[in-house]
Amino acid sequence: MRRRDFLKGCAYLSACSLLLPSFIFAYNGRPLKRYTRALLVWGDGRPVKPREIKPDEEYIFFYPFRATPCILVNTHQRLGEVRLHLEDGTEYIWNGGIGPGKSIVAFVAICTHQLSYPTRQRTLISYHPPGKRSSLIGRDKVIQCCAHMSAFDPTKGGKVLEGPAKDPLPAVILAEDKGKVYAEAVLGKDLFEEFFDVYRKDLRKEYGSSRKAKERVDRCVVNPIRKYAREVIKC
Amino acid sequence: MITTRRELIRAGAGSLIVASVLGPSISFGMMPMHHKGRMLPPSKKPRVVIVGGGWAGVTTAKHLIKKLKDKVDVVLIEKRKIFMSCPISNVWLGGLVEMDFLMHDFQTPASKYGYTFINATVTEINRHKRRVYTNHGYVDYDYLVLAPGIRYNYEAWFGKDREMARICATHFPSAFIPGAEHVALKRKIENFEEGTFVLIVPPPPHRCPPAPYERAAMIAHVFKKNGVKGKLIILDPKKEIKPKGKGFKSAYDQLYKGLVEYVPNAKIKEVDPIKKVIKTTAGDFRFDDGNLNPPHQAGDLVWLAGLVNPKTGWCDVDPLTLQSKKDPRIFVAGDSASVKGFPKSGDMAHNHSQNMLVNALVAIISGKDPYSAVRAPTNTCYSMVNGNPKEAIVINVLYDIDRKKKAPKKKKVNVENKRSKSLATATFEWARALYRDMFS
Repeated sequence: MRRRDFLKGCAYLSACSLLLPSFIFAYNGRPLKRYTRALLVWGDGRPVKPREIKPDEEYIFFYPFRATPCILVNTHQRLGEVRLHLEDGTEYIWNGGIGPGKSIVAFVAICTHQLSYPTRQRTLISYHPPGKRSSLIGRDKVIQCCAHMSAFDPTKGGKVLEGPAKDPLPAVILAEDKGKVYAEAVLGKDLFEEFFDVYRKDLRKEYGSSRKAKERVDRCVVNPIRKYAREVIKC
Repeated sequence: MITTRRELIRAGAGSLIVASVLGPSISFGMMPMHHKGRMLPPSKKPRVVIVGGGWAGVTTAKHLIKKLKDKVDVVLIEKRKIFMSCPISNVWLGGLVEMDFLMHDFQTPASKYGYTFINATVTEINRHKRRVYTNHGYVDYDYLVLAPGIRYNYEAWFGKDREMARICATHFPSAFIPGAEHVALKRKIENFEEGTFVLIVPPPPHRCPPAPYERAAMIAHVFKKNGVKGKLIILDPKKEIKPKGKGFKSAYDQLYKGLVEYVPNAKIKEVDPIKKVIKTTAGDFRFDDGNLNPPHQAGDLVWLAGLVNPKTGWCDVDPLTLQSKKDPRIFVAGDSASVKGFPKSGDMAHNHSQNMLVNALVAIISGKDPYSAVRAPTNTCYSMVNGNPKEAIVINVLYDIDRKKKAPKKKKVNVENKRSKSLATATFEWARALYRDMFS
């Protein structure tokens, strides 16, 4: 690490708020934030194995905080490195998928446009698997937010395909270790501070208090989104 | 810019026309109240004064300060005490949402993002001095953003007869400008029992192109629920419903058969609010009650500032930066601005303010090229067509920036005319998300 990179990392660290974890990693200006390493498990407590993640299903889990939803999909295609950039010009590299086919990816399920996110009542942000095209925008293999029609490409690190969003969906960095899957970090725009701010009232209702909503997790229960949200809105 | 006595008189005459058109609803007097003095100390930073706290103004205030932080002094002046949203107001007229869904305060975002909010009515704009006069004093600006929305052009129906304009506005309020008119219209709709209720679609361009058709669907929903013996007649100067024509038509045909009569090519020839007769190019219509919507024009303030093209009634602006063609220190945001291909909608006001105006102004203040800073907007417009169950249709337009022509152009139009409950749910989230952006 060069001196300049080190200083950049320091500046990044100092700019972070209370929300952020104690361990922050900003290598080469990459907007990467490491949080508690969390094991992905099914509802019955069994660790999620990469082979069990079905291609046509979309899953939800909460990471790095109790209240921050993430979407997990098996894109059924081998995914490699993609270079992305934020609206402010910050560039970063997304490393692609994990699992036997390098096809499994996860993203924070909070729209970068206006922070729409899945709740138990409904989700407007969801994945259109191959062959199941969005009726409105005519695309498949996209994560689409039906509030304002932003569409993100899960095969390209969450890149914006169309719509008003300017920043890619933040990616959850997954790691495979001895057949188990872990969430380790979030790469991309930091939406969490604003998310906790604007949804304070809703989150308090759901979790009891803001403090509880912001608890960091070390285990993430993975559920098909259709079992979590009563209404999965596709458009 | 008022520089000569003649121009001053002309500006005064302009105000007189405004007064004559608007009648009693006009909120500023002819004489500016200069004696009230300076309201804010001079700023060392560039000061951007935004007049009009609607969708465009509130969005501009927040995003400007978010981008420039302590490098700018942002002042928002708004005459209303509380924000009431025009988008979703039809859904409220249909009884599908409570009024508090539409209402928001100006103080929370001003306090959170650090801009100055002044609750005052602008009485004069002196472009030469770069000064805005209000009923509480004046504020100097480096850049001025005017976002006054629309005003009603009753003159198109009644000429100089202000009394008829007043009668029409009082007895058959338009409710395209949020406020008491909406409350009055809702009362009319709920009280209507039998006969003919007429809804006039204003000629384009008007605020929110699908709004009159959505309003018709919501009125029909209430009539259906209340078992009204009568019909709703939609008088449209256009030859067909546009946009989302198929979606509206099928809602009228399938949900409100016999209750809604759509009349195309009905250009208004004469409106008589006393005898309750409307003469159009598609025939004459007697009515018992109605929602009579006159043509729209740019809001009062831009007339006051002398920025309106009298031929169109709207402001000519640079289509990328939204800078007034008459004064580069002034930007016009929201419905008052005329940009080819942009509808006058809340979503578009939010979008073009955030992506074009704010980015251009940030670049100008930072000494950079505004044209390369602007980003293409999008426009998403939901329309609720059924109330039981709630069902909606949607149009979503993507734009591109033609950097050579320095103008936006349509890239893709996504339309869903098949009404669904999902889209109704999305309608509410569309609104909640934008209210969140502007007010929380």
